[in-house]
Amino acid sequence: MKKLLLVISALGILLSGCTTTAPVSKFSAYRGLYEARPVSVLIMPPINRSTNVEAKEYFHSTLNVPIANAGYYVIPPFLSMEILKRESAFDSELFFDVPLTKFGEVFGADLALFTVIHKWDKTGLLSQVYVEIEYILKSIATNEILYTRKGNITYDTSVSTGASGVFGALADIAASAINTAATKYVDVARICNAYTFKDLPAGKYSPVYLTDSTQVAGPKEFTVRLNSQYK
Amino acid sequence: MKNLFALLFFILLFSSCTVQQPLYSWSKYEQASYNYLKNSDANSAQFLIETYQKIIDKQEGTRKIVPPGVYADYGFILLQLDKEEEGKTMLLKEVETYPESKVFITNVLKMLEQ
Repeated sequence: MKKLLLVISALGILLSGCTTTAPVSKFSAYRGLYEARPVSVLIMPPINRSTNVEAKEYFHSTLNVPIANAGYYVIPPFLSMEILKRESAFDSELFFDVPLTKFGEVFGADLALFTVIHKWDKTGLLSQVYVEIEYILKSIATNEILYTRKGNITYDTSVSTGASGVFGALADIAASAINTAATKYVDVARICNAYTFKDLPAGKYSPVYLTDSTQVAGPKEFTVRLNSQYK
Repeated sequence: MKNLFALLFFILLFSSCTVQQPLYSWSKYEQASYNYLKNSDANSAQFLIETYQKIIDKQEGTRKIVPPGVYADYGFILLQLDKEEEGKTMLLKEVETYPESKVFITNVLKMLEQ
């Protein structure tokens, strides 16, 4: 009996790790996305309201991987950034409240991903980075907001990035050119994106496209503490 | 009986939080793209090109297909290095792999001819 209780409580703990307090299905949270069935995403240049001047372009470069991994077609990020700069559309602030039809014509995209970096603060003493980022997916055809989440994320850099995964030891020629602080910068962005987009409804290239609608959506605004071990 | 519980335990353990295998493998894309943005020199361009090549040659994701944007961005970097033919070939490969890129790539090719 004791053993049975132990097993049950172990299961309880295990399962509770995967649920949120007030479960809402992805279908009810992101109904518009399931109905519109968008295929392609244009990543807009991030809106940077933080004091970290470098944040804009670097953060931009970390967004295509998670969106593609979720099953969407992502408009090529380097190429589209170049075109946006040439067409003087580098400041996404100007386009947030206006019709996006022109972007549809040039890029052929269904969704525009706006991101707002509200805060990107480093606290040297505690080796922590505090970021506040808002993610907004808008329909290019209707201007409707189909997905939005805002994260208040404290990232603990004191845990070594280790020698595993994508940030493993770089033994090749470029190793010398990469500065560790820089890698950490990308690491913070990557982890914020991964955590936030965990509940993004799958795109058409995903095996769970449309069938993930019964899964639980995360809260619109969240506060979390993460470190480099987060996958 | 004990074994049954153990079995049940493991089944639930693995079903509750399964992580899907990634659709694509990206090699060292994150460092390479950051590095290129930061330095924009010959070395960082070379590293980015090698990374794209690796993503194309050794695609280990479940789709076994080059991820969105890789051919086109590779082509863009080649164009920056004045490798016009190779660059355009890559842009066209993007359209071949992902027809939804056609509108954009056609516009880019038009801009190149101007």
